[in-house]
Amino acid sequence: MNPRTVSALVANDLRQLARNPRLLIFAVALPLVMWPLMWYLTSLTTERRQERLESRTYLYAVAENPAAADGATWLDRALARVGDDGRNGDADPESGPAVLFERVAPPDDLPAALDDGRLHVHLAWEPGTEDRGAPRAVLTFRADLDASGTAEGYLRRALRSTRVEVREQRLADAGFEADPADLLPVERIETASEEQTSGLLLGRILTAIIVLMMLTGGSIVATDALAGEKERGTLETLLTTAARRIEIVTAKNLSILSVALITSILNIANIVLWMQLDVIPAPEGLKLVIPVGTGLLLLFLYAPAAVLLSSALLLVSGRSKTYKEAQLLFAPVMLGALAIAAIPVLPGIALRSAIVVVPIANLGVAAREILTGTYDWPLLAAAWAVTAGAAAVLARASVRTLSAEKLITASDTDAADLAGGPALFPRRVAGWFAVLWAVLLVWQLNSGGGIDGRLLITINLSILGVAAWLMIVRYRLPLRETLSLKAPPAAAWLGVLIAAPAGLVLANGVVRLASLAMPIPEEWLEAMADAFGADLPLWQMLFFFAVLPGILEEIAFRGVLLHGLKTRLSRVPLVLIAGIAFGFFHVDLFRIPPTSLLGVFLVIAVLRTGSIYPAMAWHALHNALALGGARIEQIGLTEEPAWWHYALALAAILLAFRLMSRPRVS
Amino acid sequence: MSTIQVEVQGLSKNFFDQARGEVNAVSEVDFECRSGEIFGLLGANGAGKTTTLRMISTVLQPSNGTARVLGHDVVREPVEVRRNLGFYSASTALYPRLTARETLTLFARVNKYPAERTKSRVEEMIERFGLGEYAGARIEKLSTGMKQKVSIARTVVHDPPVLIFDEPTVGLDVLNALDLQKGIQELRDEGKTILFSTHIMSEAERLCDRIAIIDKGRIRACDGLEGLRAATSQHYLEDIFVHYVTGNDTPA
Repeated sequence: MNPRTVSALVANDLRQLARNPRLLIFAVALPLVMWPLMWYLTSLTTERRQERLESRTYLYAVAENPAAADGATWLDRALARVGDDGRNGDADPESGPAVLFERVAPPDDLPAALDDGRLHVHLAWEPGTEDRGAPRAVLTFRADLDASGTAEGYLRRALRSTRVEVREQRLADAGFEADPADLLPVERIETASEEQTSGLLLGRILTAIIVLMMLTGGSIVATDALAGEKERGTLETLLTTAARRIEIVTAKNLSILSVALITSILNIANIVLWMQLDVIPAPEGLKLVIPVGTGLLLLFLYAPAAVLLSSALLLVSGRSKTYKEAQLLFAPVMLGALAIAAIPVLPGIALRSAIVVVPIANLGVAAREILTGTYDWPLLAAAWAVTAGAAAVLARASVRTLSAEKLITASDTDAADLAGGPALFPRRVAGWFAVLWAVLLVWQLNSGGGIDGRLLITINLSILGVAAWLMIVRYRLPLRETLSLKAPPAAAWLGVLIAAPAGLVLANGVVRLASLAMPIPEEWLEAMADAFGADLPLWQMLFFFAVLPGILEEIAFRGVLLHGLKTRLSRVPLVLIAGIAFGFFHVDLFRIPPTSLLGVFLVIAVLRTGSIYPAMAWHALHNALALGGARIEQIGLTEEPAWWHYALALAAILLAFRLMSRPRVS
Repeated sequence: MSTIQVEVQGLSKNFFDQARGEVNAVSEVDFECRSGEIFGLLGANGAGKTTTLRMISTVLQPSNGTARVLGHDVVREPVEVRRNLGFYSASTALYPRLTARETLTLFARVNKYPAERTKSRVEEMIERFGLGEYAGARIEKLSTGMKQKVSIARTVVHDPPVLIFDEPTVGLDVLNALDLQKGIQELRDEGKTILFSTHIMSEAERLCDRIAIIDKGRIRACDGLEGLRAATSQHYLEDIFVHYVTGNDTPA
């Protein structure tokens, strides 16, 4: 990549933006003025409304009935208390509450009186019963009318306080020695430091704010970046220069990022300034001072998220044919990104969970943990890597939009689009599995406890099976070829017998290795044992957790997924991506590393034998051995493996792969 | 002694179109262009001229065949190809908010013209194309004729040995078109290799040293004007064109 070319392109983008006064006014200057103005006006009107509500005289009426006499003393005491409830705390205690209640005659038509403001609240007393003694108050009001709703609120709270007061007095009169208020005193001691409280508050909203600002700022340039250039005809001029596609995309990303960064900084500085000037009220408990080290860490953390967002914007711009289309498509991107960025607001979500594999959301949770000082490095690194990886994938995709000929030629479909069917499938397979993954993630996150393990796995596998079937039908995939339904070389079966135990040893090794970075909690191990039916009869355990997955997961992953990816990837990326994708479907964080390894092995097995059957057998045998192993572990027969166990297992796997190779056809 | 600068062999491009199905926009096109000549691609609208030129400029990928510019393959070394190429067409627009000078500097830099010579080269182009007075004005403020001059200056600012002009006179008035043709001839006289496409017979007749007649994606004939006349016994290029495209001679 040539930095001179990239800087020339970035300078060009920024210069054009700077020379577009209308865009600058609407996209940059106006929000700077509008935000504080809106905020100021909102707080001003709230204040005014409060003032008005507190300083006015509320009209009330009491129904004339025999019980009214009983209620009169209660009402007098209550009215004397109006304004003591904290809502009117600023009122001078000397001069009494600012809220005044004035009694009016009960109207003939109560709804009409409430409606036209002749009355704000109506009180009717019902006589006391034998059990209750005291009379019962019925308040009638209109919640949709400010004055009526407020009057009811004041009166209700005042009546309640009176009730508490009278009750306590009666207890004292009855000989209750202690002050009722001392009966069960509750004292609260909050040990979080000011930084932690403020950090939690800031951490919950920070990511959403940053994402919102990045997207609004970035979209100013992004729309113009490719869609605008396409519409003006300058894209073709650019594409015929010696600039590489990657240089153009990098420059566009840098332009988006710089504008997003500048507008974000301007907006944040603007809001902080107005908060300092007390024009905008700062949220209670929020301290805006972040230590330098934390700030730098956050900056580093958000970097891949920023690149991911700008790449997403660029991708949208690149895939749109016109400026207008790009603007239309930005709305769903914005909503989606904000929804993900809002995840840290949810209570109880920690980075040490499946959230670590969700780009942006993981960094949001990580930022919250950093700000409250409760983070751990391995997971922080994992979150960073996942988002950075996603950013790289999107950046690559936006490079591809520049190579997509349909954008500059009249024809906007190609062979696969036109013919549909099997030719289209390789391009759609990633999307299908992404949706499938999201469906399974949502389902598994919501199906936590209480469901029978057998039912759970049957539903999971059914989702996979149905999806595989849908893909086969939708794209008219040839069954035999897609699922590699061929007889394997005979030696492959021997290979499976060797490979399954060896693979399990290596998978356990990976678990141990991963646990150095992410220690596995004890409860998790117990939950796993329950989930895999430790208390089921052996045949059921084997059927549900070994045989069924061995068949259905192989059909989905080593059949349909592998078939779709095969034509688009060369051998090594194919094995890694298809294998690791399988791992990621085991949503649970601690299960991803070992299942990814198994996935890689099984992909190799299918590719070498040209048949799915050995992989099915291996998968089922692997699960059976793992379940058996877990049972043995329960009775304490295992010991820590030595390094040579792993070396031996690796050698065995290699031997197994050798046995699996198809005889070469000369 | 002129050398071969552009070599096209068996170049084909197939598109898929919802309405028409598979379309062979360009089929097995062969030709070569030498330094110091204007090579014309003459064809009706939709004959495959632009598609051919876009493949040579690496904007489109060939479905089959090869094309080389100064020995660089368009598929394997696209950046080297574009570095040695200036591409001008009615659809290659300029950035409206840049000035002429900024435009030329941008394209010199993006085309990797030596940094130390960029400034003097840009001034040289401003001088040569008579942009002096307007060099500081934004493109959006310029007249069509001035814009077109900036466009040509933009095409040659990095001093590429090969220039592609894809129907450059579309939308220009007669005087501007003649001006442009003169500019192209001057560039040829400086030793540049020029690939020129048009559907206007008089333009091809006046400018081109050799002409390839292209129809439905195939080259029907390729020779100098005299050679074409001799082969078809027709004098006017229009008649020669009809001869090759329809297979019938126009009545004398």
